[in-house]
Amino acid sequence: MIYKKIVSGMFVALIFAGCSQVAPEVPLNGGSNVGDSDALSSQTVTIDEDNINANGVNGGNGLNSVNNPYNSSSDGFNSLYFDFGAYSISSNMQSVLAHDIQRAKQTSAKIKIEGNCDEFGTDEYNYALGLKRAKAVKDAMVSEGINPSRIVIFSYGESNPVCNNMSDECYQRNRRVDLKLAR
Amino acid sequence: MISVYLYAIDATLQIEKDVEARTHIAISDASAIQDSKIQNIILSDLKISGHFLVDKDIYYENFDTPIVTSALKNQEYVLKYKYSSSNGARLSIRLLKASNSKEVFKKSYSISNKMKAPFLIHKAIYDINGFLRYPDIDWINRYVIFSRYTTPKHSEIVIADYTFNYKKVVIRGGLNLFPKWASREQKSFYYTSFNGLYPTLYKLNIYTGAKSKIVSSEGMLVCSDVSQNGSKILATMAPNSQPDIYQIEINTKAKKRLTRFGGIDVGAKYVDNESSFVFVSNRLGYANIFKKSINSNSISQVVYHGKNNNSVDSYANKIVYSSRESSNSFGANSFNIYLSDLDSGRVRAITTTGNNQFPRFSNDGSVVQYIKRVNGTSYIGYSNLLTHKSLLFPLGVKKIQAIDW
Repeated sequence: MIYKKIVSGMFVALIFAGCSQVAPEVPLNGGSNVGDSDALSSQTVTIDEDNINANGVNGGNGLNSVNNPYNSSSDGFNSLYFDFGAYSISSNMQSVLAHDIQRAKQTSAKIKIEGNCDEFGTDEYNYALGLKRAKAVKDAMVSEGINPSRIVIFSYGESNPVCNNMSDECYQRNRRVDLKLAR
Repeated sequence: MISVYLYAIDATLQIEKDVEARTHIAISDASAIQDSKIQNIILSDLKISGHFLVDKDIYYENFDTPIVTSALKNQEYVLKYKYSSSNGARLSIRLLKASNSKEVFKKSYSISNKMKAPFLIHKAIYDINGFLRYPDIDWINRYVIFSRYTTPKHSEIVIADYTFNYKKVVIRGGLNLFPKWASREQKSFYYTSFNGLYPTLYKLNIYTGAKSKIVSSEGMLVCSDVSQNGSKILATMAPNSQPDIYQIEINTKAKKRLTRFGGIDVGAKYVDNESSFVFVSNRLGYANIFKKSINSNSISQVVYHGKNNNSVDSYANKIVYSSRESSNSFGANSFNIYLSDLDSGRVRAITTTGNNQFPRFSNDGSVVQYIKRVNGTSYIGYSNLLTHKSLLFPLGVKKIQAIDW
């Protein structure tokens, strides 16, 4: 802590003022000063989790994607799309929401609701934004009688884009909530 | 209304007004096989320290003989080195007074894993800098840890030296994100696994592979800061589907909810000797930086400019944050990094052009690391706050998800 304060003091002194350094005095005492780098020699690990992941199959089956050729939900659900930075369900998504609620009522299985974002903004904020989108859909479903214990929400932030073009249409497709049955 | 002072200083354009205080030095490569990568790392280390004026040319003289090249005799010092990677990595250095070829410093370094050669070089330049009694630059010896996306829902966590010449994947496969060093010693790090039904925070030792589960939470879970002694962390969690800031005691797993806002609170960092924290919130309708005491409910806004300030880091009572300064919903927006003193409210621009995000302080607060994106390519940037020197290193096309230093 003392170290921190000392460095902090130096920081305060120099950061907002010009830095006027004095060239240091150098002792001319040379000598053979042989050393190694023990602290660097320890080997670090690599862990491969490809065989551990048993979750998160992407892509919809298209059963209810008549009005949306880009539907990335599955098990009969349709994806909902959001405005830039928004997490409220817009009026033009109400029919999709109604469809998903009806689909949810046809099964007793758990439902996984996944929030997604476009690439703008930093990732932690985007994970929260994706979560808020997923929660908006969950809340709407619960208000229509779906048992909240059947719903698991998840945010993928910007990690699960359905396209990578630098276009408004692509960004729109990535700002979405996908639904599927939890397995 | 707090007054805001914007100092439009771009570190990359800073005029070197104190060049005379820096040491004129030239490099002489006496290796049997010259390697431009090694030369560039040496040059980068010397430059980013801000303590040296480095001759742009590399010279080639015998390692053990006095200086013979006349151009070298115009310098203050000549750094002669020999590097070999035939049996591990080996580096020998001699620092000579240019005027009379007197050897003032000599040292040899070796490491069995030649991939770690960048760390040998950093250590050598660190030693020279210390020998010449310049301010400490220990941050060049430290690991950077970052996560990057590979394919949708897949990522990898990588450790690197600060120049990214050394890179090693620590966790491959699955979706593992938000790595954060668990202590100053950098032996373990926290990260979030998104491979199960609920995001789960783990701690992994990079030397032994020992992994322990810390906590899991529905929705999202991110460790955003670690206390100085490593006993507690700040995390964003959403146990009730609502992202808020929590403090978690690592030993007891006891959680304390620190914010209760219906919108988005993320990215908390300790300030004020860990009695308060700064964080990103959209409580004014857009992402901005706020400050809150751990033990009280009062919240204050700390940044008063920018259209979207969605990332912050802290050191003592200083913060660095990224700020979106154009209002395009899509496409090319300008994000810049700012440094602010929480006590005085003074603000200084660290960058003034381009898309710059993920600001991170070095462990001594003297350097700011950030990611710059240009035409789909990422660079890692460093701005030395004390010497105003900046450097960029290319990262390639894979997008950095999160980074810690």
